[in-house]
Amino acid sequence: MKINNLTIEQVLSTLVTSKQGLTGEEAERRLAEFGKNEITAVKGKPLLFRLLGQFTHFLAILLWIAAGLSFLSEYLHPGEDMLTMGVAVIAVIFINAIFTFVQEYRAEKALEALKKLLPFNVKVLRNGKEIEAAAELVVPGDLVLLAEGDKVPADLRLIESNGLKVNNASLTGESEPVLRRTEPFAGDPVISPNIAFAGTTVVSGNGAGIVFASGMRTEFGRIALLTEAVTPGLSPLQKEIMKSTRVVAIIAAAVGLFFFLLGFIIGRSFWGNFIFGVGITVALIPEGMLPTVTLALAMGSQRMAKRKALMKTLTSVETLGSVTVICTDKTGTLTQNRMVVAKLWVDDELVDPSATAAAGTSRLLFTTAALCNNARFIENEYRGDPTETALLKAAQEKLGPLTTQRLSEVPFDSDRKMMTTVHTTSTGTMAFSKGATERLLPACSHIMIKGERRPLDDAGRDDVIHADHVLMDMGLRVLAFASKEVHHLDSSPLVGEGGVGGHPEDIEADMTFLGLMGLQDPPRAEVPDAIRKCHEAGIRIIMITGDGSRTALAIARQIGLVEKTPVLIEGPAFESMPDQELAEKLAAPEIIFARMTPKHKMRVVSILKDRGEVVAVTGDGVNDAPALKKADIGISMGIAGTDVAKEASDMILLDDNFATIVNAVEEGRTVYENIKKFITYIFASNIPEAVPYLAYMLLNIPLPLTIIQILAVDLGTDMLPALALGAERPTPGIMKQPPRKRSERLLSLSLMARAYLFLGPLEAVACMFGFFWVLFAGGWTWGTVLPASDLLYREATTACLTAIVIAQVANVFACRSLRESLFDVGFFTNRLVFAAIAVELLLQAFIVYHPLGHRIFATAPLPFRVWLVLIPFALALFFAEEMRKLVVRRMKPA
Amino acid sequence: MYKKVLAAVNEHLNSEVSARYALHLAKETGARIYFCSIAENGLGKKSFSLAEEAVKRLSHRARELGVESDCILKTGNPIEQIKKIVADEGIDIAFAATRREDVEKRFYARTVSRRLSLALPCSVALVRVVHLGRVHPRKILVPLKARIDHITERARFAAIMAKAFDARLSLFHAAQPLGRFLNNEVHLTPREWETRLPDDIIRFIKDLNSQDIAYDKKLTPGIAGITIAIEAAAKRHDLIIMGASERSLLNSLLRGNPVERVLRETICDLIILRPRE
Repeated sequence: MKINNLTIEQVLSTLVTSKQGLTGEEAERRLAEFGKNEITAVKGKPLLFRLLGQFTHFLAILLWIAAGLSFLSEYLHPGEDMLTMGVAVIAVIFINAIFTFVQEYRAEKALEALKKLLPFNVKVLRNGKEIEAAAELVVPGDLVLLAEGDKVPADLRLIESNGLKVNNASLTGESEPVLRRTEPFAGDPVISPNIAFAGTTVVSGNGAGIVFASGMRTEFGRIALLTEAVTPGLSPLQKEIMKSTRVVAIIAAAVGLFFFLLGFIIGRSFWGNFIFGVGITVALIPEGMLPTVTLALAMGSQRMAKRKALMKTLTSVETLGSVTVICTDKTGTLTQNRMVVAKLWVDDELVDPSATAAAGTSRLLFTTAALCNNARFIENEYRGDPTETALLKAAQEKLGPLTTQRLSEVPFDSDRKMMTTVHTTSTGTMAFSKGATERLLPACSHIMIKGERRPLDDAGRDDVIHADHVLMDMGLRVLAFASKEVHHLDSSPLVGEGGVGGHPEDIEADMTFLGLMGLQDPPRAEVPDAIRKCHEAGIRIIMITGDGSRTALAIARQIGLVEKTPVLIEGPAFESMPDQELAEKLAAPEIIFARMTPKHKMRVVSILKDRGEVVAVTGDGVNDAPALKKADIGISMGIAGTDVAKEASDMILLDDNFATIVNAVEEGRTVYENIKKFITYIFASNIPEAVPYLAYMLLNIPLPLTIIQILAVDLGTDMLPALALGAERPTPGIMKQPPRKRSERLLSLSLMARAYLFLGPLEAVACMFGFFWVLFAGGWTWGTVLPASDLLYREATTACLTAIVIAQVANVFACRSLRESLFDVGFFTNRLVFAAIAVELLLQAFIVYHPLGHRIFATAPLPFRVWLVLIPFALALFFAEEMRKLVVRRMKPA
Repeated sequence: MYKKVLAAVNEHLNSEVSARYALHLAKETGARIYFCSIAENGLGKKSFSLAEEAVKRLSHRARELGVESDCILKTGNPIEQIKKIVADEGIDIAFAATRREDVEKRFYARTVSRRLSLALPCSVALVRVVHLGRVHPRKILVPLKARIDHITERARFAAIMAKAFDARLSLFHAAQPLGRFLNNEVHLTPREWETRLPDDIIRFIKDLNSQDIAYDKKLTPGIAGITIAIEAAAKRHDLIIMGASERSLLNSLLRGNPVERVLRETICDLIILRPRE
């Protein structure tokens, strides 16, 4: 039993209040017990803790240890440049922490948008006196007075209603105002006509209600709690990055430890081994990876914005690429939300509106469509609800403007699913009704055929129902129309803005059925192609619509959403269906949800996520917000969306168009592919950074590459080319592959083999050749120890560093594709690569030729011939990679 | 099982609502109910009379439902007096409402409700009343820990409440997310989670089955406190029945306290049961 099931007396007794309201003292007591009537934030992890978390994860801890050991080493054994390394490692920790934090941090503004929907002040009755109180001080048991224009401050059980109509759009998305009553209602409180919910607005009339839930306990508060507290969890990319950093950290630490121990075995000094161990660990950690990923995502989000998809969180850019299911609304997203009257069923015939003469039954049908209508034609523009606007337009085109006096109205509400207006016409007082066929037909005793009123028998009713089904199967939204002459009107508060009317049950009885109108909301032109792309890309689309199942199915067929017999689930069946059964149904390849409301979406999303799907969901209303938050990607509508939905979503569609989602998915997949490309690029340089250490240890030679030079590559010269790889265009077949599997790793074996066993060793050969070439050309003999300040030694390390940079120039071209030849992809299709290489070379020139570069990186100027000697290695790398791609293409054709 | 039920009533509406839960439990079990109001020394006359009126209303309601009731109006220390009544009358279970100020205290330490739950020799149901629109709960959420004490009494209490209100139970276990070092979170489907049901929950279900009660069950990974509050809100549960926290102060400080979290965030009524059978 809920509050809406009770009579007014029972309500007062249950809430221990009266029609005089609470006393001031009792209100204070209840305020102390139930708290303020306000939307409050759910206590989460403090910002500082979230920031601190970036400094204490696994990789960061390893780096802290490395930095600590570096400082210890500097303290106990100065002069090995370990201080610089310690500082550099800490800088890396800070850079990574700040980049990751910025990427993950998102200010929660949805709650602020929700708060704006609640009023500041409200009229309540206390001690029998009307007072104006701050809305936040309203407590359960308070009697709130409502008048036109008021915002409802809390959930109220109405005890008085004088034509009180509220707009529930903020909760249900339905823009049509609904009439409120006071009688007990047996159904669900959410659809109960005797309840006014917090955050809704009084459109007309007045009334009074008792507060039964305030603050976060209201339906509005429930949405706020779910919107704020529900978290989608880590994005697929975040999970992959986390796994990748752990893998890399383990490899780096294990290799460092291995060579530290090996040094002992071959009899090197402790400090030599120690510096070597830490150095090789640092060399193997791709310090620039996280900032590059963040910047690549930022670039991806800019490209998406150009395609009318505004990304709110960076990680969502990639998540879109891994989406396996898109749950989409129909109206406005798949269709244009521009209704037109497409078919009529009148005089027992199915006809086009244009082929119908405005005479006999048709004339009365169009008259009903025009008069039983709240849309208006003002300043050459139709204004109102899209359905009513379409009806008015069709009627005016057929009949021209009509002049009658409206006496009263029985408004539409979602329970009755029909509306009636009473007018004074030239033939007398007439009632006109429109509504769902299943509701209007029982109110009719006659049918008009060829202008003649005939009794409506069972066969006639069957004909109407058959015609209704035929129209729905054509994808049309069907409305039935009826009229009657009214001979007697009495006064009733339920009907008539001016108090003239009669009881709805009297007026809406014994009517004459006139016909049906089928309204079409044409699909957007781009949608069928976008749906085909989704099918090719292995993405399932689930349509969630408020329309009936026949209409939904017909539209789904028109746009190519379904080809076979889909699973059809309607709202009422959905509500009673256990999770397990629903989960089984959701496994079907084609599924449509009909007669649904936004409140159902979150459950669909949750179950899909439990099944392991990566889910995108669209929404525009306030009560779509929890589903938008729960989904891996919440997509709100830029045009029709509420502020709350926009704030709760990860992506805003600037054109409300489904096709834009598909474009964004393509961009998301491209971003992931590009991340793989630049990770290959970054990882490849780890080998030429590590091999010099190995050679230093095993071959008893001077250290060919210092730690600071390694950092110059990882955090300097490599950054922009890696970023340029993030701007690669989509590969042609990218939307013809299925979404990547959960088990697919970012750091796959093939990626690591390509970087560590193929590209990296080629670069290592180049850098070691450069080092030895300069040493031997300078007269060095094997076994000679060179001090760090020696010019020849500096030149040799500079040559080693330069060789890596030159090889990386070739590598950036090699990494532009995973298997296609660059000659097919096109050398100049990514101009950013050239700009990045130019900056890379300028930076290297600074390191090699500028005195400041010499001081920071312990380098020395190189003669031009050294560059010329190194260039063939770059060309060799490029062509070797082309050969590898050729072999891959031959072995595994696309 | 429960033959004598006590409901502590004071001048606040939430205590009256809490006593209504006790009343329905008494009706279901055929128990005698004691509505007791203990006026602390220094309590105003108005407050005392409000409590007295509440007791009268409850007593009247008990008569309507055919439940035998006694009204006890006393003054003194509430804890001591209630303790004495429980001992003298042989009370099986006592219902008391938590105050909002209790919830605002960390781990609701040193509150009357906590002291009652620790001091009384009978089972104690602490009721947090937050929503007055759900007069008779139809959907009851029963969050379960991996390790449950007094399984039989807990299962029976949930079953009695379900029968009393003709409600459906939803058993819910927020499991620790499954993770491995290189695969930080392993995704399991609900069916896979089901194969990992902790033994105590299986025993709880067995006990519930013996009560012939319909229920749903759901396992989901997550942080217990907020996950329970979200589940209750998302599925529109009317009432949550959960066990009292057994985490130590230090443990609560380090790992958080799920009961405290649910107390704060719940948007439906909550009963915290401390069984003593």
